Amino acid sequence: MMQDSEALDLKSRIEGIYWRPYLVKLFNHTTLMLFTLIIIYPVVWMVLASFKTSGEFVNNVWGVPSVLDIDNYHRAWELANLGRALINSLIISLGTVALVVVLASIAGYAFAKFRFRFSAIILLVLIFTMQAPTPVIPFYVLFVRLDLTDSYIGLILGIASGSLPLSIFIFQAFFRSIPNELREAAKIDGCSEFSAFMRVVMPISGPAVATVAILTFVGAWNEYFLPLLLVRSPEIRPLTLAVQVFFFQYGRVEWTDVFAALSIASIPMIVVYVLMQRWFIQGLTSGSIKG
Amino acid sequence: MAPLPLPPKRIAQHRRRASLAPYLWILPAILVYGIFKLVPLISGIYMALLRWDGIAEPRFIGLRNFEKILNDKPTLMVLGNNVEYAVITVVGKIALSLFLAIMLNQALRGRTFYRTSLFMPVVMSFVVIGILWRWLFNTEFGLLNNLFEGVGLGFLAQDWLGDTNIALKSLTVVDIWKWYGFHMVIFLAGLQGIPNELYEAAKIDGASVWQQFRHITLPMLQPVMIVNVTLSLMGAFNVFDIPYVMTEGGPANSTNVMALHIYLRGFKFYRFGFSAALSYVLLTIVTLVAAVQLWLMTRADNTEQ
Repeated sequence: MMQDSEALDLKSRIEGIYWRPYLVKLFNHTTLMLFTLIIIYPVVWMVLASFKTSGEFVNNVWGVPSVLDIDNYHRAWELANLGRALINSLIISLGTVALVVVLASIAGYAFAKFRFRFSAIILLVLIFTMQAPTPVIPFYVLFVRLDLTDSYIGLILGIASGSLPLSIFIFQAFFRSIPNELREAAKIDGCSEFSAFMRVVMPISGPAVATVAILTFVGAWNEYFLPLLLVRSPEIRPLTLAVQVFFFQYGRVEWTDVFAALSIASIPMIVVYVLMQRWFIQGLTSGSIKG
Repeated sequence: MAPLPLPPKRIAQHRRRASLAPYLWILPAILVYGIFKLVPLISGIYMALLRWDGIAEPRFIGLRNFEKILNDKPTLMVLGNNVEYAVITVVGKIALSLFLAIMLNQALRGRTFYRTSLFMPVVMSFVVIGILWRWLFNTEFGLLNNLFEGVGLGFLAQDWLGDTNIALKSLTVVDIWKWYGFHMVIFLAGLQGIPNELYEAAKIDGASVWQQFRHITLPMLQPVMIVNVTLSLMGAFNVFDIPYVMTEGGPANSTNVMALHIYLRGFKFYRFGFSAALSYVLLTIVTLVAAVQLWLMTRADNTEQ
């Protein structure tokens, strides 16, 4: 009797050890799946809802639309002038990326390779002020005085100024890792310091450029506060402002149209992200993870 | 090979160019940053000392705006809201993302799939996310209440954004939703930097899973923990998009936070001076957070060496 229960005990313990890794795995996958669904489902649901008729939207809350209703997209496109907004968002984001990559790479190179007075102090000022929230009133007054409200240039300069410090640090860290011999060799071949930078260093700096470009592009594309503060005219309005138009219209909000607009504003970025996820994740966390 | 000696005149030229050139390289970036970041940061100090509606002639009133802030009930409430928002989002993001990172770190199939999916909201705009969640929280048709009723938990259904006791907490859910994948990726990078030998040694010594977590994982994660906590704290005190898009600070100011308060005082009530003064209160809070971070990081670096 005693022996029986001991044998049983041993058997179940052996089985327990045998099964435990699988149980742990099962638990891990279930939990991860649950939190993944919590992220993915609302976004998938948004896209599904954007194809539903308003009747089906209310009656078939969870499911797939029975017919793909593209009318929502037509209406949203017209009402919020999304074509214009898409172009505006592209102009603003690409302009900001171009400005930041040019200015930050040149400055980052100087901080990495040249020794000059005050360089440490300037870097310290950047570190200390980059995280400081800009006071809104003087920021707005400055743009009014410089006549930069309602302009692409104003938005680009405003967004760029926010992402310059981190971009400079990213470039500086990257250029430090490039051996000095490379630049010396180019100079011996008769290159000036600047053309050595342009012709020899920049062509091999793809990773740093990609990191800064992704970080800046995502930030500019999703920027909401600056356009809210500085843009009045519909001509300049980026997507983040345009998708709100539905709530300022007279009458009932057609939510299916809203979801069509939200899909237009976010799905292209998500597709690019999924295709280049390694680059995006590396770029968007580069401010937080060293190296 | 020794460098060829240069004639004296060339040396002087060379030195002068070498000493000026670096400043030319950094000038464009510093100019843009200086004008659009540093100028407002400094010129605002003067504006904080004014009574000004943005139209009429401003009047200098000294520190009166700051005195008012200390006695202003709405402002104190907003500060309280912001602290509550910060505590919930920081604890929520850190706990959830650390938990998920540890699971993802056990060599698993589908790691790329999980990582890519969980990180996805980072590339979405808070405007899109805010409007989407406004609907998910909808009392009648929203997915959340529908879900609760569908599984027989109808009593959990709430007026998520309309109830003054719940609205702020509902907003923190959206904030946590957007960022937990991001923090998870950072924790994951930290976890992968912990040498496996430490765990093997601990197992030989008979350490339990909890002891391994408490005495190996947590201490080794300290640097990324500081980064994650600071980033989420900064985010919480700078948050504007979510409350502006989802509730505009309502109902009854219950979801109003500092950045939104500053904006509304300026551009809805046209109290430019007061709003500028509020900005410096926020600035002080954020600077304190940054200072604590810096102190913790230098301390961590010193103990490492």
